[in-house]
Amino acid sequence: MASGNGAHGALALATPAQVNRDLLERHQRRTGDTYWRAMALFGALFVLGIIGFLMRLSDGFSDKAVWGYYAAVFAFILTTAQAAPLVAIAPRIAKGHWRRPISRAAELWSVVGLFNLLLFIPLLWVLPSLEDTRRTLWFFDAQDPNFSQVPIFSPHIWATLALVGLVVTGFMLLWVSALPDLAAVRDSASGWRQRWAARLAPNWQGTSQQWNFLYHRTGILGAFYFIMLIFVHFLISVDFAMALVPGWIDALFPITHAANSLQAGTATLLLTMFCLRQFGGYKDYIGLDQFWALGKLMFALSLLWFWFWFSSFIVLWYGKKPSEQAALQLMMVGPYLPAFMAAFVLNFLVPLFTMIWNPLRKSIWGPTLIATSILIGTLFDRIRIYVPAYSVPGIGNRFVEKHELSEVPKSILPDMADIFMIVGAIGGAIFIYLLASKVLPVINVWEQKEMLLYRVHKPFHRIEVLVLGKRD
Amino acid sequence: MQEHIQLTPKEINQELLSGVLGTPKWWLGLVAFLLLVFLTGAGAFGYMLNKGVGVTGLNRPIMWGFFMTNFVFWIGISHAGIMISAILRLTQAEWRRPVTRAAEVLTVFSLTAALMAAPLVHVGRPWRAALWVFPYDFGRGVWPNIRSPFIWDPAAVMTYLTASTLFVFVALIPDMAVIRDRATGKWARQIYGYLCMGWRGTPRQWKLQTVAGILLSALVLPVFVSVHSIVSWDFAINIGVDGWHSTIFAPYFIIGAIHSGVSAVTMVMALMVWLWKWDKILRPDHFDAIGRLLIIVATTWFFFFIVEFFFAIYTKEAPELALRELQIFTRPYVFLFLIFIITAYFLPVPLWMFKKVRRNVKWMFWTTVSVNVGMWLERFLIFVPSLARKTPLEFNWGTYHPSIIEMLMVAATFAWVAMGMLLFSKVFPLIPIFDIKEGMIVRDEVKIGRAIVPASIRE
Repeated sequence: MASGNGAHGALALATPAQVNRDLLERHQRRTGDTYWRAMALFGALFVLGIIGFLMRLSDGFSDKAVWGYYAAVFAFILTTAQAAPLVAIAPRIAKGHWRRPISRAAELWSVVGLFNLLLFIPLLWVLPSLEDTRRTLWFFDAQDPNFSQVPIFSPHIWATLALVGLVVTGFMLLWVSALPDLAAVRDSASGWRQRWAARLAPNWQGTSQQWNFLYHRTGILGAFYFIMLIFVHFLISVDFAMALVPGWIDALFPITHAANSLQAGTATLLLTMFCLRQFGGYKDYIGLDQFWALGKLMFALSLLWFWFWFSSFIVLWYGKKPSEQAALQLMMVGPYLPAFMAAFVLNFLVPLFTMIWNPLRKSIWGPTLIATSILIGTLFDRIRIYVPAYSVPGIGNRFVEKHELSEVPKSILPDMADIFMIVGAIGGAIFIYLLASKVLPVINVWEQKEMLLYRVHKPFHRIEVLVLGKRD
Repeated sequence: MQEHIQLTPKEINQELLSGVLGTPKWWLGLVAFLLLVFLTGAGAFGYMLNKGVGVTGLNRPIMWGFFMTNFVFWIGISHAGIMISAILRLTQAEWRRPVTRAAEVLTVFSLTAALMAAPLVHVGRPWRAALWVFPYDFGRGVWPNIRSPFIWDPAAVMTYLTASTLFVFVALIPDMAVIRDRATGKWARQIYGYLCMGWRGTPRQWKLQTVAGILLSALVLPVFVSVHSIVSWDFAINIGVDGWHSTIFAPYFIIGAIHSGVSAVTMVMALMVWLWKWDKILRPDHFDAIGRLLIIVATTWFFFFIVEFFFAIYTKEAPELALRELQIFTRPYVFLFLIFIITAYFLPVPLWMFKKVRRNVKWMFWTTVSVNVGMWLERFLIFVPSLARKTPLEFNWGTYHPSIIEMLMVAATFAWVAMGMLLFSKVFPLIPIFDIKEGMIVRDEVKIGRAIVPASIRE
């Protein structure tokens, strides 16, 4: 198959059978050196992360301030890897054809959810119970008989259940949408791949009923994944960040936290696409169309990043309430100003002043570089939220009077254990993704074949045009 | 999309220019009626100017009543034009074609209604509007207070009005050339000829028109977001009124505006089918598409509504809890609250889940009317109960009963918008002719097995 920049051009002459054969061969052929080098690199980082975690574990759970960077990197993976599947879900519901070559790459990130669930477990020990009388989503109040019935570990229980729900939904979505491809692997591969595929798709024969089931379930599971992701962001952002800072009441913050994940999820997928194209040999499938479409989306989401941030900021800043000023001091203009500025520049200013230019937006390198900027910015953003939030001592301390910060704690810089944990968690997430890419084809074979059915080249006056069908 | 009717360019011209080149029988009577309602409201306004704002039900501490509710409501409706037109144009949604013009025109007239409702009427002495904008004491260098909503709101609304008018005008140019070529009167030909700026339909002109449309779509979107954000901050930056100081107000107002705005566009679509008989162009699948969009918009709005409410309770502060009790459990607000939440969400959204409802013009009309009843009440419930709560240093304290003067002025804004749309339809087509023709050309079909799937030509 000839290589090309646009996915339209390269596949224009291919038949469904050719695409089937090509993609399955790529999936089953012997793994190249680049893959093993990447595995070694990210595996090493993962090990480094485990060492960092063990170092941190030796400090115990009593001082939550030392776990701030750990919480930040957990939130970072929630914001990036666990949001990436949404980038496949939304255009699938909107029936956008451009998503077809990248939907599997996006859904495959849901596997990393399991890793993040493991990362979450220590935070259950770090987060204090509700007995410290902080504000909470669960309205616990030991003094009030109406509100003392709630379990004191409600944030721990509900956040865990929600996170488990998100991970399970992600796995189910990945499995259901991969059924036809698993059946193809079952019928064409040999060895462990064949055995795995036969176990995961034992009954798929491609009957009309099964296809209807697939369309229906991917829609439902996709919508449910979206709802669960918003719910998880809601619980984590409030119970594991906002509630820890007395006087910080920001109704928009949970939504901002979730909206940021849409931007970072898109950036994650863009970077994944770039790697698959450059190093994975999928230039024929992932083309300019995909980069352009996702680049536009990422640009819009970067503007949204600013709008959500500014909507919160202007109200708190203009209101001049001491409790809100202290919260702004803590996370924005005080000790964490450099982290905030880094996030502001990388998440908003860089995308704004680069993506407005058509040549940059309509390229492979442009959106990739901006995506990298956004991912680094998102890490800074999570750091400037979670590290200060965990650094505030509990109610009853000299820092806190009633529900207001009377003194802003000093900044906490990352130590060796923190740095190991940050690179280890990110390396671990990529390591797991690379492993998963060996089990399932990273390009969705059936969606790619279906695409060929919907596209026809027809003469139109003196030129030939592309006609794209859209199912009702 | 299966029930699409293919029309020739000549048939499209005939269909869509019927209201411009001829006058439907009902048109004059309806305009006269709306003019009467508008003039009655204008009379009420004159009476208020003569007697003072004491003739309204506004009194300390509730100085923001029907007028401000109506202002925010019309700003909300105005978001329809940009939502439908700019976003759907940028995303190349095919179903937008017959809807965009009406939505954009609705934006323009809603904005003028909003300007009437607040700066003109609400302040009581509208001639002082000049003082908000221009320096009023050159000698001492006194300038308007830029931290005042009196500066923010008119600046935002006027920018949006200018951008929307430009948006409508650019999209009208090819259609005005069509009217120029078909108008019989000398004056009409000259005026349309002047307005369409020498349009001949050359490839360069088409390219410029398309680029201008896309550019305006992209540039007007931030304006659209800023307008309602600024309106919401009139409330949210205020820490003195319970229930208003919330960071979520800007997105909550925007999504509420989109909810009521898209509903208003659906109402206009239904009226276009009934009044101008454009059912060959506005097909059930257009209502189906906008119905699906409404489900998403309404549910997002409902989520924001819940979050806003939840975080008021999250504070566990006594004044916030008392306000929510007043809004939800105390008469007369309890009845208004129930009507609001049922009509804005619990009645229409479950109905829109059914494809038969979404494809039925009558059902879509009445459910979207229901949404706008609810969304008007929503704004009322944000303002009035909050202001009605007694605060510690308040000695003059009462509740609010709108007077007949206010009701007449509110009715006048509705008449103004409807009349404006009808007058517009007499001189310009409410459905873009060139867009419909283009849609007919790019429409195609793809055969997959035994199924025929609707398709469109892509570059």
